[in-house]
Amino acid sequence: VDFKNFGDYIRELREAKRSKDRSFSVRGLAKKLKIQASYLSRLESGSAPPPSNEVIRKFAIELKTEASVLMFLAGRIPEDLIPFIKKRPSFFNELIEQVKDLPEQAVLRVVREVRDGKW
Amino acid sequence: VKTMLELQNNQLVFNFPEVHENARLTINFQRTLRIPDDGKRYPLPPGLGNFPMKHIDDHRNRIPKEWLKRGGVMIPMYQSEALWIHFSSNYASNRSHAYPFAIKVATGKVSAITGEKWEKGLNKKDYVIAPEQPWLDGYVVEKNMIRQFVATPLGMGFTAEEQITKKAEFGGIQIEVFPMKREIFEKRFPVLPPPQYSGGGIIRGFSMPGVYTMSLNTISCNASMGMAPGGMMTQQIFDDPYNFEDWDTKYHDRCFVHLMNSMTWRAVTGENPPITPTTSAEYERRGLPWFDFYNDDLKALDGTKKLKGLKSVAKMEKKKNVKILPENQSVKPGKIINLSGKNQVRDGKWV
Repeated sequence: VDFKNFGDYIRELREAKRSKDRSFSVRGLAKKLKIQASYLSRLESGSAPPPSNEVIRKFAIELKTEASVLMFLAGRIPEDLIPFIKKRPSFFNELIEQVKDLPEQAVLRVVREVRDGKW
Repeated sequence: VKTMLELQNNQLVFNFPEVHENARLTINFQRTLRIPDDGKRYPLPPGLGNFPMKHIDDHRNRIPKEWLKRGGVMIPMYQSEALWIHFSSNYASNRSHAYPFAIKVATGKVSAITGEKWEKGLNKKDYVIAPEQPWLDGYVVEKNMIRQFVATPLGMGFTAEEQITKKAEFGGIQIEVFPMKREIFEKRFPVLPPPQYSGGGIIRGFSMPGVYTMSLNTISCNASMGMAPGGMMTQQIFDDPYNFEDWDTKYHDRCFVHLMNSMTWRAVTGENPPITPTTSAEYERRGLPWFDFYNDDLKALDGTKKLKGLKSVAKMEKKKNVKILPENQSVKPGKIINLSGKNQVRDGKWV
């Protein structure tokens, strides 16, 4: 399975930002996030496991990205989705089973069929 | 996916992806004037926009149990309000013709084309065809003449269903759609070389601010409505110009369209129903246009005895000594726009 790592993803975002804004160096971003620059380097290289949810949310704010996407890349379920999934766990399980291998354009629109009954 | 029926922008969209990528038919229900039920023939009234349409499943706690069993969608109608049904099949830019469909239409499970009870499958002379038939305004009572669909409460004896079956069981509108077979479509309407053909629908509607009035007609608040035959209108209902075998009866999809009394709609959905259209007399007083559409290249269906024998709402009012129509003033349509022939406006509704 081809998937992105949390570290690769944040490095890509940071470097894209850095090309326009020099304050997005490893040291600069670490300062904004109030973490050690060496820790950020290890996160980007994948040698440290993804940080706490709180730090992930800070990453999302600084890198202007979706916190949920970073959570997924960190292998976690965003807290705000948990109640919905817990409410209908089988449904979400089935939904993911059904769409996991489909191309994105095929599933971006939610298709809802009109239900036919007995008449 | 064999067939797919979706509700999009207050329209029913029938898709048959396994038959052909172009096999898509959109059906909407147009708000319109109720033409006078006075024994005179009237031209086609305008379309005043789609009725709002909702999945009944979204309101399962507030609708009759029978509706839930039947599935489908619902639209709000005032007592004695009229509608017409608009069929719009998908034009591909590289074909000379939109994808053809055979469409069965019934009210209260009684065919609006033949007056016979709903039967499974496709039967000869019991369907209209798209794109040739752009709209259906009522019951086919005679050749080139229909009686307008007018909503009346189910159970009062006015509906076509009650007149024919003597029961008030189903109400609503039932639609079933059959696409043309893929190989027949490819043979009849092959891909054209460029320059590309540009096709489109025919316009029979517009928005007219200020031509609505509030409803005064609220005798009954029964949630379920059915369709009854109203005034007479000149409309050709075309016979099938293709072969009966051209229709793909393996693939079909259907929908029950429940008619909810507009007075109940707000309580059920939390949304206001549209206000009632203006009267025909007021419409005419403003000099607004009526429409005419015919195609002499196609044969029109004759009406059936069953449908011809239906009593109109005005006649039933007299018979039952009950007033249902809030007004029924005769009018003389002045401005009639002919939408027939080769110069028809074709840059209209794209779906």
